[in-house]
Amino acid sequence: MIGANPASNHPIAFRWITKGREQKGSKLIVADPWFTQSAAMADLYVPLRPGTDTAFLNGIMNYAIQNNLFHREYVVAYTNASYIVHPDFKIEDGLFSGFLESGKYDTSTWQYTGEKDPTLQHPNCVFQILKRHLSRYDIKTVSEITGAPADVYEEVCKLYCSTGKPDRVGNAIYCMGLTQHTHGTQNVRALAMLQLLLGNVGLPGGGVNAERGESNVQGACDIGVLFHVLPGYNPVPSAKAHPTWAAYREKTTPSTGYWVNRPKFLVSMLKAWYGEHATGENDFCYDFLPKTAADHSHVSTFQDMTKGVVKGMFAWGQNPVVGGPSAVQAREAMKNLEWLVCVDLFETETAAFWKAPGADPAKIATEVFLLPAACSYEKEGSITNSGRWIQWRWQAVEPPGEARSDLWIADRLFKAIRKEYQENGGVFPDPILKMKWDYGEAECDVVKVALEINGYEVATGAPVQSFTKLADDGSTACGDWLYSGYYNDVHNPPCKRRDNVDPSGLACFHRWAFSWPANRRILYNRCSVDPSGRPWHPERALFRWNGTGWVKNDVPDFNAKLPPVETADKAFIMLPEGQARLFAPGVKDGPVPEHYEPVESPVGNRMSGQQHNPLAVLWKGSIFDKYAPAESADFPYVATTFRLPEHYQTGGVTRNQPYLVELAPEMFVMISKTLAEKLGLKSGDWVRVATARSEFKAKVAVSSLVRPLTVQGRKIEMVCIPWHWGFQGLATGAIGNDLTPAAGDPNTRIPEYKAFLCNVHKV
Amino acid sequence: MGQYGVLVDITKCIGCRGCQVACKNWNDLPATKTTFTASRTNPPQMNFNNVTLVNFHTIEKGDKVQWRAVKMQCFHCLEPICFEACFVHAYKKTPEGAVVYFNPEICTGCRYCQLACPFLNIQLKWDEVFSRVRKCDMCYDRLVRGLKPACVATCPTGALKFGERDALLKEARERIAKNPDKYVDHIFGEKEVGGTSWLYISDVPFEELGFRTDVMHESIPKYTWKYISKAPILAVGLPILFAAFYVYTKRRAENEDGGH
Ligand code: SF4
Repeated sequence: MIGANPASNHPIAFRWITKGREQKGSKLIVADPWFTQSAAMADLYVPLRPGTDTAFLNGIMNYAIQNNLFHREYVVAYTNASYIVHPDFKIEDGLFSGFLESGKYDTSTWQYTGEKDPTLQHPNCVFQILKRHLSRYDIKTVSEITGAPADVYEEVCKLYCSTGKPDRVGNAIYCMGLTQHTHGTQNVRALAMLQLLLGNVGLPGGGVNAERGESNVQGACDIGVLFHVLPGYNPVPSAKAHPTWAAYREKTTPSTGYWVNRPKFLVSMLKAWYGEHATGENDFCYDFLPKTAADHSHVSTFQDMTKGVVKGMFAWGQNPVVGGPSAVQAREAMKNLEWLVCVDLFETETAAFWKAPGADPAKIATEVFLLPAACSYEKEGSITNSGRWIQWRWQAVEPPGEARSDLWIADRLFKAIRKEYQENGGVFPDPILKMKWDYGEAECDVVKVALEINGYEVATGAPVQSFTKLADDGSTACGDWLYSGYYNDVHNPPCKRRDNVDPSGLACFHRWAFSWPANRRILYNRCSVDPSGRPWHPERALFRWNGTGWVKNDVPDFNAKLPPVETADKAFIMLPEGQARLFAPGVKDGPVPEHYEPVESPVGNRMSGQQHNPLAVLWKGSIFDKYAPAESADFPYVATTFRLPEHYQTGGVTRNQPYLVELAPEMFVMISKTLAEKLGLKSGDWVRVATARSEFKAKVAVSSLVRPLTVQGRKIEMVCIPWHWGFQGLATGAIGNDLTPAAGDPNTRIPEYKAFLCNVHKV
Repeated sequence: MGQYGVLVDITKCIGCRGCQVACKNWNDLPATKTTFTASRTNPPQMNFNNVTLVNFHTIEKGDKVQWRAVKMQCFHCLEPICFEACFVHAYKKTPEGAVVYFNPEICTGCRYCQLACPFLNIQLKWDEVFSRVRKCDMCYDRLVRGLKPACVATCPTGALKFGERDALLKEARERIAKNPDKYVDHIFGEKEVGGTSWLYISDVPFEELGFRTDVMHESIPKYTWKYISKAPILAVGLPILFAAFYVYTKRRAENEDGGH
């Protein structure tokens, strides 16, 4: 468990962790900067400095390789370890070959040559490149970077690498502690690579498991609530690269791997959206899709407010004034909005940004609309958990007063906009006027929406049974191919199933709800057996080749009509190469993870001359471009944000809940006893916490759960900041994210909430 | 049917405080105004509107630190002293095991029960305004309907387990025997004050988690009644005795409190 604290933030998930430990004798390792509630449950706890996860994980991989503890047969069969890479590929001083002056990489030397060496001996095969690269991450070096005591770290390496044996399996759990960094993608990749090296992907009990930050954030991502993907993880078309359907089809469809089916998924989506108007002749209305010409990530959007490019905003169940990075600057940007619509249960800080402390309402002209929303128990629909289970939820009670479900609001909104276009026209009315919107005249029927997401045959209207039935000729319509099958029976849809039988004993529960894709419970499950179809261990026999056919305990993630030899090199069916990437040519900041310091760091980079990720997105020249230099004397302490069990995210709901406010009434920051001693502080004192962006006042909790770490011979102190408070609601307090930097990961733009620099003064 | 009880396995408690909220929810108790506490235990002590409370403990041993959450409420003594202390019989020990303050209308507000409770702050809470007592009643209204107490029903990790006390005691012994290196060899509530319906097992010594381990192992009523029941001036004798007992236990506790 790294960068995750489910005991606090995902207590129900912890139920299963507790069960696993009890029934299987599993050991729990927790790596976290401070001694969290999860750490208190661990068999082995190891501290690490915020922002040093890549080094930490690289070190474990190195330990596995150096001590021959990795799962060789798995690695050869199911990963690209044997692939030979371009002879000019190099890693020098923290940079990969092809670094351009523009600050990006030319990745031509990161490509495979097409040859393979299954003995893994070729000096330029992925395995040898990785081995050389990782050899720099020995225990002493990692300990010096991360502050993890060398002996404890070694114990962690030893214990975790014991799962490299075929009869064992290790489960990796991560959360925002891993992702919210300017090298967050590389952190997660390092964890995934470690799991691959140890043969822990695709097996019951294994995997790389994200504890998602919201109960339905998985569903939100699946259905396309991200700036760069359409439903089902099809890329949002770009104006430059994909001006036409032909260009999109050609550039986003690989020649091998499961994504060869992308055109079927996209055409079916367009048929669902534009109905009879979408025909082969007009490219199924592909031209109606908005195309992006610029970055539309969170910080970019706020930056665009300052430029007057973004004039209006919907904050739908979102509270960026508390939840976004560099929130002081975000509030500043929002003052330029002409209008703002907030859809929420309470008047959040975002809805009330114009009356934030220090703001002058007389000078803010934004027109704000607050639409009262129904909460999850007051509406019907599905939510998707981190295990990809789509579970239908029924309405328990009517929403109070004028509160309405999101669907009701969206439906009215669309109908009003359509009416406006019908009556008054517009520059480009077709995408609105030709949209298929037939979920009911007066009231929008959620089941009709579900049936459309599931997909149907255009001619008969009958639900499609699964995405394998989708076609690219316009004969099928489907809102999200991944969800195909979840509502394929109007009377008894799989997402409403609630039977917890588990005949295999492998916790598959196929008759409980529906897991995308195709009700498959474990992804890449071809890896649960060896190339010849024998389970790695009889206790985890998800499949077994009996000589003539497959014995199945899950929905196969491979072609089960074929004998094992024919699928052994295609276990990762979503990848064109069919084998998992220990070396990833498509990741923007490098094919293998390298340690970089956070943008704000108390120390120099011990590994190279690149202080931080050379591709980190810094929002240069904008109001978000505010960072303390490395080893800053003004901001000597490392800060990190965290969450409490009692409040949920920005506290928009929970700070209005009296029982929860009773449990966690006031904002505070947490520091070690040694720092408190140095600053003359005791618990309950007021402190001023300052960063390069802003400062606030809060009470201090002096705690032995936080301890300084020894990094490169220096004691590094830490300030832990919860981010649940704001100026609205029953319990008010400083906004933690006023202090966090906007600097983002180059692949995802996720901001570096989890590692920055601050100072603390007694008030 | 034997008496019911709850086994609390402190090693499995993640401190989510779902139980604390579930208790308030089921019993419809209002939220109280609280302020910052460094330990995050809140409210800092039980009160009339919080009859179950999760206490957070940070235990330091050299350069090692441990953190534990301990849910506290009435322990439901097998032979409850509060019941004995009450002249008007506002209490009863139900056959199910719950000790219930069932008859508030006849309560005179004498507070002897509160003074008598050997677990001090743990058991009974007094409302100044209405001169009434409130304590955990093991969700007696749920028990009689075949439901578990609200806290147990909510607990996500299985740290709270509801069942017949004898079976729980057996299970507690088994858990300790299976993991002798992990658990302290002590089931709190097995013998304390003659036994309680709530049982606790832990990997941190109970004294370090705010438990009173110095209470006698014989039931207090047995102990006191032996001497007092025959006394002719019962009405005077008992209060004095309990008041004395209260002062004694309170002072002990205050001395100990310094350490926490
Ligand atoms: S609900 Fe269970 S895990 Fe949560 S605090 Fe209470 S006893 Fe502990």
